[in-house]
Amino acid sequence: VRVTVDAETCTGHGRCYVLAPDVFAPDDYGHCIVIHEEVGDDLAMQARAGADNCPERAITVG
Amino acid sequence: MAEMVSGFGGTDFDPEMAAAPQASYRAMQEHAPVLRMDGLVMISRHDDVMHALRHPELFSSNMDAIDIGNIRPLIPLQIDPPDHVKFRRLLDPLFSPKEVAKLEPEVRRLVNELIDDFEASGECEFSDQFAIPLPCTVFLALLGLPLDDLDLFLRFKNAIIRPGGSDGDEARSIQRAAGQEIYAYFQSVVDARRAEPRDDLISGFIAAEVDGTRLSDNDILDICYLFLLAGLDTVTASLTCAVAYLARHPDRRDAITAHLALVPAAVEELLRWESIVPGVPRVAMNDVEISGETVRAGESVMCMIGAANIDPSEFPDADVVDLERTANRHLAFGGGLHRCLGSHLARLEMRVALEELHRRLPDYAIKAGETPRYTMGIRAVEYLPLVFAPVTAP
Repeated sequence: VRVTVDAETCTGHGRCYVLAPDVFAPDDYGHCIVIHEEVGDDLAMQARAGADNCPERAITVG
Repeated sequence: MAEMVSGFGGTDFDPEMAAAPQASYRAMQEHAPVLRMDGLVMISRHDDVMHALRHPELFSSNMDAIDIGNIRPLIPLQIDPPDHVKFRRLLDPLFSPKEVAKLEPEVRRLVNELIDDFEASGECEFSDQFAIPLPCTVFLALLGLPLDDLDLFLRFKNAIIRPGGSDGDEARSIQRAAGQEIYAYFQSVVDARRAEPRDDLISGFIAAEVDGTRLSDNDILDICYLFLLAGLDTVTASLTCAVAYLARHPDRRDAITAHLALVPAAVEELLRWESIVPGVPRVAMNDVEISGETVRAGESVMCMIGAANIDPSEFPDADVVDLERTANRHLAFGGGLHRCLGSHLARLEMRVALEELHRRLPDYAIKAGETPRYTMGIRAVEYLPLVFAPVTAP
């Protein structure tokens, strides 16, 4: 599945890279960077956990 | 309707409602999602609260919205774009998850020391003996201030957050006076660090540049003022509300003890359910439509975070405290560009505190015959007597 983050909407809550460290990483300001824009089944659950816990709804998976 | 939700806006509150405000939030959300009371417009739906927090050009946190004894805008909360981002770029890296993780050993040591002090007695007053000193000590260490100043800091923040006074004017004058003391205190620290820099945050601010310009003394004071008010009471409140909840729900307490890996998710769920910041104030900059009602330019708007956090349209089984909730977009730390700068530090302190409490004092309970005393404004349990039988040495 495809993973994207809307950088304009992300304000650095940091939930994604704490819950899904294999899919997301922080930049210098703690905002989200997507490490893998395409993930297989093994990482899809992590990616969804990141999206489901983003208070800004900045992450789209699938 | 009004009597069900009274106390959110003014200084009066009903202690029973402070202990369990969720039913009032629900009533507000279902029957009057835009409710005018006590000169405030309270908005309570998750979508509406999020919309307001995301649009500072419509709902500003400027000095008309928030007056806590300060004479200049607090940095960064009361700074509008485009300057806002400059200050966040300076401050965000200092409080990133990676940076605050470095504090974990020190926080764990401090948590264990606090438990050591009362463990043998088999009881404690959790607020005074744990929840107040923990964040205050962490904060003083971060800013490089002497621990002896703890009582001074507590007096400052209490005068601002719970000023008392017989009416609004008296409350404001108490806040104003405390505000002057806060400015003077931090000015003396800035002067001392300019003369003799140390490895602490205030020395860092003195050396820092924002867009090639050094921060002014006032900039530094306006940052420290906000830190003091945002960083101390909130963690104390979160800890007392979380532990009071768990003490009253031994099944949940035991679930955590049996599986300490549950703590991070439990922290999030208790942040959601307890919502120690019931609402954040904004001022409408234009006429805006919210849930079919017009909010007029200049009106004071209270974004009811506590209500948003139990909105069934966002949270399935919103009234169930599910320590394993997997999707949790709670707004306990706000949202939009002013989302809480210290959220990662707060989470660290809460996680380590709950891990160590459950490891060392797993059967903690509210002392028989005692009633925890809740307060409103920032929701906290200011009197929380606990008893326990210690099981593990530190």
